[in-house]
Amino acid sequence: MDQLKQTTTQPRPYNGHKDIERFSLRERLVHWTVAVSFVYLMLSGLALYFPRLYWIASLLGGGTTIRVWHPYVGAVFFITFTIMFYPWKRCMLLYPEDWEWLRNIWSYITHRGKTLPEIGRFDPGQKIFFWLMASAGVLLFVSGIPLWFPEKFSWNVRLVSIFTHEVASTAAIAGIITHIYMGTIGVPGSLSAMTRGKVTQEWAKTHHARWYRRLKEKGII
Amino acid sequence: MAIKGLEIRDISATRYAALGISKVPRMTKLIDLSTCIGCKACEVACMEWNDLPMDETYRAAGGYQTIPDLAHNFWNLIKFNEVDNGNGLLWTMAKHQCMHCENPGCLRACPAPGAIVQYTNGIVDFVQENCIGCQFCVTGCPFNVPRISPKNQKVYKCTLCSDRVAAGLEPACIKACPTGCLQFGTKEQLLEYGRHRVRELRSRGFKDAAIYDPPGVMGTHVIYVVPYGNHPEVYGLPADPRIPALVSLWKGPLKTIGSTIMLGGVTAALLHYLTYGPMEVKPDTDVKKQR
Ligand code: HEM
Ligand code: SF4
Repeated sequence: MDQLKQTTTQPRPYNGHKDIERFSLRERLVHWTVAVSFVYLMLSGLALYFPRLYWIASLLGGGTTIRVWHPYVGAVFFITFTIMFYPWKRCMLLYPEDWEWLRNIWSYITHRGKTLPEIGRFDPGQKIFFWLMASAGVLLFVSGIPLWFPEKFSWNVRLVSIFTHEVASTAAIAGIITHIYMGTIGVPGSLSAMTRGKVTQEWAKTHHARWYRRLKEKGII
Repeated sequence: MAIKGLEIRDISATRYAALGISKVPRMTKLIDLSTCIGCKACEVACMEWNDLPMDETYRAAGGYQTIPDLAHNFWNLIKFNEVDNGNGLLWTMAKHQCMHCENPGCLRACPAPGAIVQYTNGIVDFVQENCIGCQFCVTGCPFNVPRISPKNQKVYKCTLCSDRVAAGLEPACIKACPTGCLQFGTKEQLLEYGRHRVRELRSRGFKDAAIYDPPGVMGTHVIYVVPYGNHPEVYGLPADPRIPALVSLWKGPLKTIGSTIMLGGVTAALLHYLTYGPMEVKPDTDVKKQR
């Protein structure tokens, strides 16, 4: 029975062990606003980028509708991402052991080979994703303004903006594919961090040992 | 095929456009800048035929030109320029409108299927019902022609009177021109006529006279006879118009790279799940010991 419990994909708390709070309600609300707005931006953007995907426009109310809404939702994304950015930016700094981890990322991906350095609240992959989204977000916002009001900008500015918008969105989408995979099926147990706000102690120990130890030391758990 | 005489050759954001089967001549307008007297009859004819009265009073700039630039409801503008061409002042006047490029930058840049069409007769037309108002076409156009309407956020420009041409008539501007400076016909006919005019001009001392049919957009369906052919800029015509390189890159290779990255990412994630499997939580030995 114990054996079964250990391999089940949805780890449940062991008796007598409380789950650990990983994200506050505020963090979760901000995250999901960012996530929903991003998914809308991605879908409407893809519809306008790939003629083959223009059918997505019909699902979202038609081409003119997405042309009108995409920039407003972009503003929501940018503002909420900024709100998410400041409290997290310090825990997202990369340290020497993070680079060590990244050098051995293949062992992480394949679950074999070297033992990796212990991880704090966020792992180096998450940190890089954070900085990728932050820089793509800034580029998308800045280049999005001339696309929103093309009459107000010169030809060259519009050309560079379209180009930048597209390169940055490709990078962001590549990042989000990985993020959604890891956040849902790729790392069982992490979705509850963003839904209920809590993770099991084993999850914390497995994926964020240093963070777990720190919480223990501080007596939070 | 929507209208007889307007079979379609190319459609914005559409892969397999239905190429018309009937044999339709490529129609062209010729503007002879050596015989234009700047009377603006073409401007009036254009407004009249297309039912586009002026709806705005422009601050007079103190000149001959009707309004400062093309507008969403003003598709045909004679631009007056004063330039110093080296041996004195030159006062030029030239009709400006959509050039109906053989390779239209607007159509290449447009993301909305069916918002811009090119007919087999060479006319490039905007279909406002399908336009979403993004103005990518304005950025794609090397001649800076399309204009958004503040009334409905759709883009407009000269249609080369596609409605008249489909019915076998010449465009309204051609009909109104009193000097014969505007001609309408097939591209071959008008190139022939243009070469004849260029020879005449050269014999009269305009040794640089030339035909303006810019190869950068694979030629246009509005061609000019230009007395100072080595300097089309003095008439406000770009010297070497082409679809901006960033637009070609954006609509070409970057699209391929982008779709490869996105499809590759999804495939890699699925393959990871199926081969190495998810990152499972490790059993907690400490907890076991305690129990
Ligand atoms: C729509 C699908 C999304 C899902 C299912 C999702 C899921 C998750 C989950 C489960 C976590 C917690 C990871 C952990 O506990 O370590 C997380 C964290 C995070 N999410 Fe999302 N998310 C989505 C979209 C986004 C978007 C669009 C952004 C930003 C542009 C974003 C930015 C972040 C960041 C910065 C974190 C913290 C660091 C990290 O885990 O990488 N998420 N997300
Ligand atoms: S404004 Fe209309 S015609 Fe121009 S590119 Fe956008 S959808 Fe196409």
